[in-house]
Amino acid sequence: MTVAATDIPLAASRGWSRTQATGLVLLLAVVAFALLTPLLVPVDPLKQSLRHTLAGPDAAAPFGYDHLGRSLMARLAAALRLSLLIAAAAVGTSALLGVGLGVLAAWRGGLADRLASLLADSVLALPGLLTVLIIMAIVPNTPLAFWIGLSLVLWVEYFRLTRATVSRMIVAPGVQATRLLGFGPFYIFRRHLWPELAPMLLTVAALGAATTIMTVAALGFVSVGMRPPTPELGLMMVELLPYYREAPMALMSPVLATFLTLLGLNLIAGGRRA
Amino acid sequence: MMRLLGYRAMQALLVALLVGVLTFLMMQALPGDMAFRIAAGRYGYDMVTAGAADAVRAELGLDRPALQAFGLWFLDLLRLDLGTSVLSGAPVIDEIRHQLGASLQLAGAALILSLLMGLPIGIAAGLRAGGWLDRALLVGSTALRSVPQFLMGLILIVLVSIQLGWLPAAGHGRPEHFILPALTLALGLAAASARITRDAMAGVAASPFYAFGRWKGLSEGQMLRRHGLRNIGVALITFLGLQFAMLVEGVVVVETIFGWPGIGHALVHAIFGRDVPMVQGTALMLGLGFVALNTLIDLAAHRIDPRGARP
Amino acid sequence: MFIRFLSSAALTMTLAGPSFATPGVLDVVAPFEIKGADPALSGNVFIKMDVAETLVNSDTEGRLQPGLATEWEVSEDGLKWSFALREGVVFHDGTPLTAEAAAHALIVAQGKPGLLETAPITAIEAESEHRLTITLAEPFAPLPAFLSEYRSLIYAPSAYDADGNVTAAVGTGAYRVTRLDPPLRLDVEAFAAHWQGEAAIRQASYQAVGRAETRALLAESGDADYVFNLDPASMARLTGAEGLEVMSVPTPRSLLIKVNAGHPALAQPEARAAVSMAIDREGLALAILRYPAGADQILPPSLPDWHVEGLAPLPYDPEAARRQLADLGWTPGPDGILMRDEERFALTLTTYPDRPELPLSAAVLQQMLAEIGVEITIDSTNSSEIPARHGDGSLDLALVARNFALVPDPIGTFLTDYAPTGDWGAMNWENEEFSTLIRGLARGEGGQAERDRAVTILQTDLPVIPVAWYQQTAAVSKGVIGAVLDPYERSIGLKDMRWAE
Repeated sequence: MTVAATDIPLAASRGWSRTQATGLVLLLAVVAFALLTPLLVPVDPLKQSLRHTLAGPDAAAPFGYDHLGRSLMARLAAALRLSLLIAAAAVGTSALLGVGLGVLAAWRGGLADRLASLLADSVLALPGLLTVLIIMAIVPNTPLAFWIGLSLVLWVEYFRLTRATVSRMIVAPGVQATRLLGFGPFYIFRRHLWPELAPMLLTVAALGAATTIMTVAALGFVSVGMRPPTPELGLMMVELLPYYREAPMALMSPVLATFLTLLGLNLIAGGRRA
Repeated sequence: MMRLLGYRAMQALLVALLVGVLTFLMMQALPGDMAFRIAAGRYGYDMVTAGAADAVRAELGLDRPALQAFGLWFLDLLRLDLGTSVLSGAPVIDEIRHQLGASLQLAGAALILSLLMGLPIGIAAGLRAGGWLDRALLVGSTALRSVPQFLMGLILIVLVSIQLGWLPAAGHGRPEHFILPALTLALGLAAASARITRDAMAGVAASPFYAFGRWKGLSEGQMLRRHGLRNIGVALITFLGLQFAMLVEGVVVVETIFGWPGIGHALVHAIFGRDVPMVQGTALMLGLGFVALNTLIDLAAHRIDPRGARP
Repeated sequence: MFIRFLSSAALTMTLAGPSFATPGVLDVVAPFEIKGADPALSGNVFIKMDVAETLVNSDTEGRLQPGLATEWEVSEDGLKWSFALREGVVFHDGTPLTAEAAAHALIVAQGKPGLLETAPITAIEAESEHRLTITLAEPFAPLPAFLSEYRSLIYAPSAYDADGNVTAAVGTGAYRVTRLDPPLRLDVEAFAAHWQGEAAIRQASYQAVGRAETRALLAESGDADYVFNLDPASMARLTGAEGLEVMSVPTPRSLLIKVNAGHPALAQPEARAAVSMAIDREGLALAILRYPAGADQILPPSLPDWHVEGLAPLPYDPEAARRQLADLGWTPGPDGILMRDEERFALTLTTYPDRPELPLSAAVLQQMLAEIGVEITIDSTNSSEIPARHGDGSLDLALVARNFALVPDPIGTFLTDYAPTGDWGAMNWENEEFSTLIRGLARGEGGQAERDRAVTILQTDLPVIPVAWYQQTAAVSKGVIGAVLDPYERSIGLKDMRWAE
């Protein structure tokens, strides 16, 4: 599990670059596929038909069938919905937590800042995998456990970034002037801090979403994540792996779906204008 | 400097406390009976019965209240005693030494491999920011990072071991066993470190003092040695330190695919077998190791570039 | 280390041959992790690698053979067993095998959870230097079979510390341990002073690889000489691969649905029979296990003593199942799930992912039972939840892969699981006749007629619903001769193997 943003821009520029736009299109295509498939081809992703084991595509299953004769398209869409949902929830929660604490620490300074930073550094020192796995041992519902566990791991990145940016900006002349004019903290945050923070947070969010999707798939792949028969990308891969000679395309579909989703997110994260 | 060390000491203490609290919660909120879980981990699914669970409960004193168990663990910790694994009966410290060693070797090999690949490419791309190599690096590294590690491992096994028959598919114990798992980890890491190097190098190459150096008539090679490397060093070392720690903890997937006896593998087993002393010991060692590594990085960064005093 | 690593990388890149099995070392790969030197934890590995031996052996058909004991006899009243130990046997530490040493090993084994603990043993004593006696509280015919189990391995006194903890694997086997790296690796070399003489293959290594896919890849790439336990899909792929022989053999392990016979919906045998009729066993076996081994009774024909020829097979007839449930008062509710008064025919099926085919089979069963209006929720969890939920009564159904030959004689498993109930067998089920038959058989009374009757009772009363019979599989390199695939999972034939020339 590669948690944490690897290269956070020190000074991000505004606006979307072409690379980022490509990533966004890719991501939207994946989301559209995940959401529209059940409407266009309504097949139960759990419905088996042992006569169709590893069969090729037909009208009911445009991507063919898996080893239990379940529609690969329906399963893929369901798996993507699950991963994207967990990613969105984890990114949302961790961003809220991290940015909130970050602003608070930078704004208040002093002991509050020191304590929050110490907590963040200590959480960062704990193996992320351990946190996620322990939460999974405590919370019986796996998607919920992923959400909680990953949020606990991912908030640190937002916190560090927000705290650094805000404490730099807060002494800038513009902010000081606004303060002297008597505007409240909320106005200052919206007017001065947010425009500066937003592009950087976007990068962290995209990387966080990629981390989440990769973690869910990886733990599924090593059989400690979601449980069968739930459609999940990593589980689909490990279930279809033994058939790689007989049905290479069946294995390729979750592989490609994972790759395209992660590529989309990485392009959004890394493709900022230099 | 003293303030920095003091801060790190506080951090270490908090890490130990966090580990204790998390594992304490785990013991409290278990969906399932701990004695049964341990019996299943010890004797396997063919042999786990209520009788075996009772024997485990009696042997390990699991009837003890959790708060008391937590207190005992912390007391033992103060005496530098991590206890014994409830699954194997071996001292936790011995198990960790063996498994952390295997993980460190693998992570080290991966790190070196990634530097050999990532560093030259990153420098070359950074010196000519916007050139074809730079653009190719952007595309290549983004694509590489979008391949999950387990997928990368699988592709390498099928390609290199099965189709070409060049290297063993999995295993541990001989030098050639290192190559595929290390390469699996290194490819993703190389992509990232090339980007970091490239960004730092591009920044340095565009700086006034670099231009001044060129005026002075220094050659490209001299420039790189005198100004370039030293300036990208700090960024790279900070990044690599972070990555190394993540490699050690995060190789669980690669470890299971390649049958490598590492710490991630041990951690998963310990958590699923409810081997609490093992979970506590492993988490503690990893957490404290991370703190120690960070301290070293701070000191190293200070040494390379004394101007940038970090918190 | 890194210099060595890099240079060897360069070397292997240039010198790489087609196979990476180490020359001169026989590489064994199996799914079982090594948890320690203790037979109670990892005896199955030490017995397979011929590191340690038991008093009694069993061959691949489950017949008992002399092991470290050359012969044994039981007193008239069936309470005193006497074992004559083989002379001239030495442990790997050079000390001779004595009755004293063997008694010590067995007493330690008996004190740990396991089968031996359940036998009615009152004393294990050394009578003379090479004669060991075991005293029982009541007659117990399968005692020699119990002693052939891997947890009854005989270790030298030097293997134990003062508290009876095992510190090293010091046995009498044809191979001695040169390196033990739990959890994944064990290296052994031939023991020159073994009582059968030195083995032909001088060095061997054992590697635990948990993932079936990785094991198959290791066989496919030629890295391992003996790969134990392949997943069904890889099995199909490897059959016909160059340089490999793929073996399979029926084992005394059955895929069963454990039923809570105290559950209101499952209390009548007719209800259990209806559930059984909803199961397309052949379809499930072919799709998941990929061999035609649907179980139409509890144990396969490879165990002739416990397989009743001519017993009416468990049928597949969803139509009849629906009728039978209708007769019991169940009618389809608005969503197709059966209802009886306010009660909904909804059950939880507990299973465990340790064996990857279990959750898959559970998913298939879920669909099959939905066809007759029974709603199944799958709970794939830790294996220990099954005995735990058996204990607190919260279990509905469990899908288990039960080994009937932990000892070569299935009577041991029937005794612990079905007479009358057991953690991995019947639940809230009591059949006086069955219990009497099995207890009698355990005392050594009765024979084939009694066994047939017992199996027939299980078939009609269905305290568990048989689904499929397992096969054990292995892939062996054509570079070795003499490999054995033992249905009882005791031996791989290591000490009798040799290199092909």
